[in-house]
Amino acid sequence: MPKLRCYFLLPMLIAMSLVLSGCSSVAPWQRGTLAKPQMAASRSELAATMRSHNYGSREAASSSGSSGGGGCGCY
Amino acid sequence: MLINLRLLPYALLAFAPWQQVAALAVNDAAPNCALSTINSKQALHLSDYRGKVVYVDFWASWCGPCAKSFPFLNELHQQLHARGVEIIGVNLDETPADADAFLAKYPANFTIVTDNNQQCAQDFAVQAMPSSYIIDQKGQIHHVHLGFKAGEAAELQALVEKLLTTTKP
Amino acid sequence: MAATKISPLQALTVAALALPGLWAADCQAEEDEINFQYSRYQESRRNLIKTPNHSTPIEVDSLFGSAKVTLADRVKFAFNYSQDTWSGATPITVAPLVAGSNQSVVQTVKGSKPVVVGASPIIASRQIILNKNLKPLAFNNKGKFLGKDLRVVNVLSTASPETRKQGDFKLGYEWDEAALYAGGGISVENDYESRFGNINGRWDLNQKLTTLNLGLSYTNSDTSAIIDHDASTYLTKTAFLKQIDNQGAYQILTGNRQDWGSNFGISQVLNKEAFVEANVAYTRSTGYMENPYKATTVVFVDPEQPGINRLIGDVKALLEQRPDERDQWALTGSYHQYIGLFDAALHFNYRYFQDTWGISAHTFEAEWAQPIATTWTLTPRIRYYSQDAADFYTPYLTSKQAYEGIAKDATGREILVDADNPNNGKQYFRNDDFNLIDSSGNLVDENTLSTIPKTVAFDPKKLPANFSSDQRLSAFGAISGGVNLKKQITKGVSVEAGFEYYSHAGGLKLGGGGEGSYADFGYYVANASLNVNLASLNAGRKPGDHTGHSAHHHHHQGGAAPAGVMFAHMMNKADDVMVGYRFMHSHTGGNMLNGDGIASDASILANGCATRKAGCKMVPTYMDMSMHMLDIMYAPTDWLNLMLMPQFMDMQMNLRQLDGAPAPKLGEHIHAGTGHATGGIGDTGMYAMIKLFDLSSIHHLHLTLGLSAPTGDVDITLRRTHKADEGFIHYGMQLGSGTWDLKPSLTYTGQLDDWSWGAQVSTTRRLEDKNASGYALGDIFESTAWGSYRLNHWLSASVRGLYSAQSAVSGKFNPTPGLVKGKLKKNVNPNNSSVDYASNYGGRYWDMGFGLNAQINNGDLAGNSFGVEWLQPVATDVNGYQLDRGGAISATWAVAF
Repeated sequence: MPKLRCYFLLPMLIAMSLVLSGCSSVAPWQRGTLAKPQMAASRSELAATMRSHNYGSREAASSSGSSGGGGCGCY
Repeated sequence: MLINLRLLPYALLAFAPWQQVAALAVNDAAPNCALSTINSKQALHLSDYRGKVVYVDFWASWCGPCAKSFPFLNELHQQLHARGVEIIGVNLDETPADADAFLAKYPANFTIVTDNNQQCAQDFAVQAMPSSYIIDQKGQIHHVHLGFKAGEAAELQALVEKLLTTTKP
Repeated sequence: MAATKISPLQALTVAALALPGLWAADCQAEEDEINFQYSRYQESRRNLIKTPNHSTPIEVDSLFGSAKVTLADRVKFAFNYSQDTWSGATPITVAPLVAGSNQSVVQTVKGSKPVVVGASPIIASRQIILNKNLKPLAFNNKGKFLGKDLRVVNVLSTASPETRKQGDFKLGYEWDEAALYAGGGISVENDYESRFGNINGRWDLNQKLTTLNLGLSYTNSDTSAIIDHDASTYLTKTAFLKQIDNQGAYQILTGNRQDWGSNFGISQVLNKEAFVEANVAYTRSTGYMENPYKATTVVFVDPEQPGINRLIGDVKALLEQRPDERDQWALTGSYHQYIGLFDAALHFNYRYFQDTWGISAHTFEAEWAQPIATTWTLTPRIRYYSQDAADFYTPYLTSKQAYEGIAKDATGREILVDADNPNNGKQYFRNDDFNLIDSSGNLVDENTLSTIPKTVAFDPKKLPANFSSDQRLSAFGAISGGVNLKKQITKGVSVEAGFEYYSHAGGLKLGGGGEGSYADFGYYVANASLNVNLASLNAGRKPGDHTGHSAHHHHHQGGAAPAGVMFAHMMNKADDVMVGYRFMHSHTGGNMLNGDGIASDASILANGCATRKAGCKMVPTYMDMSMHMLDIMYAPTDWLNLMLMPQFMDMQMNLRQLDGAPAPKLGEHIHAGTGHATGGIGDTGMYAMIKLFDLSSIHHLHLTLGLSAPTGDVDITLRRTHKADEGFIHYGMQLGSGTWDLKPSLTYTGQLDDWSWGAQVSTTRRLEDKNASGYALGDIFESTAWGSYRLNHWLSASVRGLYSAQSAVSGKFNPTPGLVKGKLKKNVNPNNSSVDYASNYGGRYWDMGFGLNAQINNGDLAGNSFGVEWLQPVATDVNGYQLDRGGAISATWAVAF
């Protein structure tokens, strides 16, 4: 199952986004709302790091991102 | 079935609109779009500034690099206005109040105008925020600069000054 | 898009860029910023069902710092630091309730009934009764049969404080529509060290409407765990013998682990008010992935025992065994929508996780970011998580074999060996007449040879290859809710406070079938942070302009004071704000001193522990202290500055036995070996600086009035070991003073051309006779003078002299009653080391300081200043018996608005 996902998901994601991009045409000067601070995907990185570290020490599904490392979480 | 699924993403690509990107090129004539001053209905046209080197800068209140560019534009105005350079900051905010708040924090001593129906932005085919267009005395676009970073100030100033010396007034 | 004339060259260029497209500036562009955060995590007490739980649950104090700066136009650098100190009770294993593994600690007082006051773990060497289906049976105290009891319970053990520190950096280059970053870092704690590196690439397409992200990372970690001294004799570690090193009284388990991670993501703008993100991540982990402190209980039932309906099971604990490989996949999708009616944004996130250990998990998260009245933002959030158990997860195991049995040969005869020489390879048996014979069948005279049965350990192949009872791998659901409040204070500074409560319960698992309620627990976490936006520093200023606020007072004040001097600099313009960070690290070690001379072990033995009849037994070998201080200054007027200074500390030390100390009595526990560590938030200072005079911009004098609030813990205790409670850790390892303290100081500074100088006298007066733990630290007096010379426009060097004096600790720790081997003792506070005595604190100290200060005057980062200073001890005269001083280093960063 993971292998199928690999061959299917990645190209699917790219294709979907390129298709979706056709649905949207937000001109560069119309990005004001998207630029509002409350719209940022991550508004407080340190708090997000702290939460992710807390969840990761108690849950098996740690977020495998590019940060890596960080203690054995062995509370 | 599996093989078909794997090909599906590639089939979908046929529906992706391969963006036709068109930009305003150097040596094109600058569009003569209608502008108005903020908070008044007084109309302005770019053609009013024929005979001067015009630096058109499209900005908005929510744009970080725009805040960084204002000190540079103020400096440029202070140094070169007397020599025949007109800096026009065209505001593209959809809410005029936002522009006023921005100007309170980052005051500008150059001309600030607004583009009410975004017509000017479309005529210039603005690709990025901020966008600067250096227009010579004859109304031809000499240079298009996208975005702003502190290190680019010197280069932009040199381009403007070059236009002042090479073209006879 | 409107089509306009494009020359052939332009068309070619555009076409070449068509896929990436011409870029559009991303106006959520990251700005330079510095952040500090403190958080406190606190777990709830676990339910031990039959025994009361008096052990302190897990508590973690954490400090985070991060800096993002633009080094050149397109070069960005980010640095992150975090440290946590954690302590408290954590489950080592799960056992059947009938095994009574959480043994009640009973207080026996003459004349009254024994009272249960706590629990201590016994993880092995118990026996339980099971029925023929191997289900545990319960009996009451008098032996009456009560029925089947399938309940299980966590077996808890308390850990002493431990500190983990991590630092990582990222360096990257930004093109117009792409960026590339490389980074790495290291995380260190006593028993675990992890090093990691990563690469990230970002590509913007369609005028930045679409962004692609690719990341790769590699982590290499080493475990070097000291198997819990108390548990070690009860743990079965045969599976890990190759990885265990014996060092003196301690056994160290080592292991290595590698993780390869990759992730790919897409971010797509849908319309003017919404965008989505999708991400797929794959991680492959190999190596030692067990938790070295966790064991799985195995009940061994000898199939050859006589009983049929009442079977005796030996309860043993085996270190857990997990597979050597783990492939993990995670798919994440997020949706972000602007809600115009409230000017708010809704963020929704879903993640699906699957790995080769059989765990699949779902995470749903939603957040609502609500701006209120321009400077406030309120963000409530909710999260639901559910996971399956790992294939090899089990609360405990039963195995139909003896833990240790008598070896038998192929025909079923018991093997006997020479009692005096059991490993000489010779085997003996008993023949049918019960006479002793050797392997060839010859009779052996039992007068010359005594035999014992040869024991054989259990067969590990009859157990599952992998097993674990770690709750992290069990089936459960968790729901948590929290809220965050952010307030913008001034143009570049904002503060944030947050709170979250999390509840883990088997019953919350999606679709049911989660672990029983014995495993439920919850935690709450509170955090506070300060955010300094460096981009706002120079906003509105022309490039090359030196007349802004920050540059103004740096030129006015001349050289900055050495890094080790506090309250030396005042802001002289109303409404100015300054944020600074100071790090201080000091080391004591080497010889033990008495007064100003070296003290011999013999003299410490006799006099070091004043009131102890038997004399001193232990002395410290070293003690290191690190302090992280944040100072936030605001000038309401041009002659008054207000400052808030929270701090975070961590300390480490170790002890050794004195030469000539008598051998430990039976049951007396000597600490040496692992050392002690404490860490957490320290005392918080509030200061007002009042300008007394400013003379012809050369001389300046100001008075500082300070008050220190006792926010640092002074009641940290040592963990219970060897069946004995141990009381308070010594005065020097507590995190604060415990008392409200007055801290006035008078500072004079002067500057002329390239020279600047200054002097300061300060004192700390305790406002209370004793704190909640029964003592008060000594009052402090300090006087210092320095000179500084400007080497060039951004760097200056300083030299300083310092004299400080501190009185000894007054009072002493309140007696702590505790249990030692079931008997109540009035006071179990440690008293066998010189550091346990109040008279061995304080003294008079002379130091010289050498420092450098740098200020950034131009460019985007103007207004930032840095300092570093080394304090070299010149003379030391201590009260009583103390360690010699090694020196201290201070490093500061400050930014003025």
